[in-house]
Amino acid sequence: MVRKLAATGVALLFALWSVVSAYGYSFNQIVPDVRQPASASGGSACPVPAHQLSGAGSIAMRWSTALGTNPQTILTSNQTPAGQLNEIQQVVQQSLGVWTNVAGTSLTSSTLAPLTTVSPADSCGADGLNTICFDQPDMAFTPGVLAFTRVITADAIGVQVGNTVSTEVGQILDADIYFSPGNATVTFATPSALSSNPKSYDLESLLTHELGHALGFSHSAVWSAMMFPFAPAPGTYTGVRPSSQSLDAPLADDDRTGLRVLYGDPNDTTYVGSIQGRILPANPLSLPVAPVGVTGVFGAHVVALDQASGEVIAGTLGGWSCQAPGPVQFDGTYELQHLPVGHSYLVYAEALNGAVSPSDVSDALITLCRNSTTDPGWPSSQACIVPSVDQQFSTRIQPSP
Amino acid sequence: MNYVQRRRFLWVLFLVGMALIAIVANATTLARLHFYQLVAHSSAIARVRCLHADTRVENGEIWTDTVFEVVQRDKGFLPSVIVVRMPGGKYEHLTSHVDGVPEFRPGEEVYLFLTGQPGRQFYVVGWSQGTFRIRRNARNGAETVTQDSADVPVFDPQTHSFTKMGVKGLPIDRFMEKLTSEIHRQSL
Repeated sequence: MVRKLAATGVALLFALWSVVSAYGYSFNQIVPDVRQPASASGGSACPVPAHQLSGAGSIAMRWSTALGTNPQTILTSNQTPAGQLNEIQQVVQQSLGVWTNVAGTSLTSSTLAPLTTVSPADSCGADGLNTICFDQPDMAFTPGVLAFTRVITADAIGVQVGNTVSTEVGQILDADIYFSPGNATVTFATPSALSSNPKSYDLESLLTHELGHALGFSHSAVWSAMMFPFAPAPGTYTGVRPSSQSLDAPLADDDRTGLRVLYGDPNDTTYVGSIQGRILPANPLSLPVAPVGVTGVFGAHVVALDQASGEVIAGTLGGWSCQAPGPVQFDGTYELQHLPVGHSYLVYAEALNGAVSPSDVSDALITLCRNSTTDPGWPSSQACIVPSVDQQFSTRIQPSP
Repeated sequence: MNYVQRRRFLWVLFLVGMALIAIVANATTLARLHFYQLVAHSSAIARVRCLHADTRVENGEIWTDTVFEVVQRDKGFLPSVIVVRMPGGKYEHLTSHVDGVPEFRPGEEVYLFLTGQPGRQFYVVGWSQGTFRIRRNARNGAETVTQDSADVPVFDPQTHSFTKMGVKGLPIDRFMEKLTSEIHRQSL
């Protein structure tokens, strides 16, 4: 189902609906280095989302069997050394399985290379290998940081990290997941050990979230989404577990739609709907004078709700478009892709001035442009400057004729 | 959109809100820190002005070092210029990205809750949670303070409701009062 909607400015209810205020899935955007030959950069300055390759066996993941013992941070129900490792292996497998069983995507279990292990605690690093580390100290850990993922992406073809060489622009060359080590107040429990360790964080959901980053996701403000940035407090996890009938059960529709956008199945016929349009101010004089060329509202949050269920199916940050050879045009365009066909949707746009502010989504906005200031020698014909997010508008929606 | 459609739309929006409130947030990365915890974990707290940022590679990892001028020191010892290190950054053809890491623009003023030692780099406690941005009203010059993580609600399992516990749009004098009083309370 394709519906084109044009949204024009001036007050109505949606900006008042700040309790929903969920910006949806977002990705790290990479602008190809067009200073390189077209054979390496593709020749276009249009942003590309960071992504893994999705061919058979192309995503390899390993995990370090070195576990902190003093203090012990990974808690399992089986306390024998072999049983402990087996239990963690199951958690890693299960968490990977969540992301590789979503209908309408090209990520399947065959996309994953066999899961392997490595012994050293400090196995995470920029080596071209995707690794999960449970006992590797890192200066980035400060109080309140439970886990994080370092994702290294290439802006050209032929870039090398370790033995991995990029064959696509935006390819993730290395994604390492670090769990907070050596902190007696922060422990992580496997699902079977969680009930007997109520002060622990749920290892499986944290790892599933971090694996989302390893696949190219940024954070989502949809509270039910796996990519929501905050963990429930210890002892409060009540999320859904994957089951044999529904391996992707822990994901929300927002996560699934994001995955389809990143790793769409070319043979899919169900999730091929899109909604697109532009957000324009009622008064063109309200557009910013600088940088030049801004012709629409930038930074609006546009959300699609399934009319029947009321579920947030997808959300995007609108306000720009890009056609090769680029650069990005700030013309107010938005597009919601990979929606299931045969449904009706309600679309609303809101300014990022309520429960979500530009700083929450800066990762998805500030990386849209490169220019001679950020990158010496950048061609002026493909340069742009990201304007300030327009936080002053409110909206009404008019279906197109 | 006619009247009936609008009414249906409002109902759907209402139901969505209720559904979202009923769902427990799933995942990860950061653990909530209360304001008193942020103060307790910080070796230094200061109002700082961003001067510039540089990307560097150390031990094979990409880091961004942001240089700040200290405008006002509220806790701990700080030199007049400090370097705050965060993971990630852009180096040659590689972009190292870590979600949740705050970024700063030259000229921007923020309150930072820091851990570290003078003479070395500092780190922001709880990343977005230890970052409080100062906004100045262009018309009257009034300053307000907003915590980067203020917009993300937290689920309270006892009341089965979401609450926002961060600092958002707080007038700067009230923020200073809150900060000073907590520092004083913890020094007793």
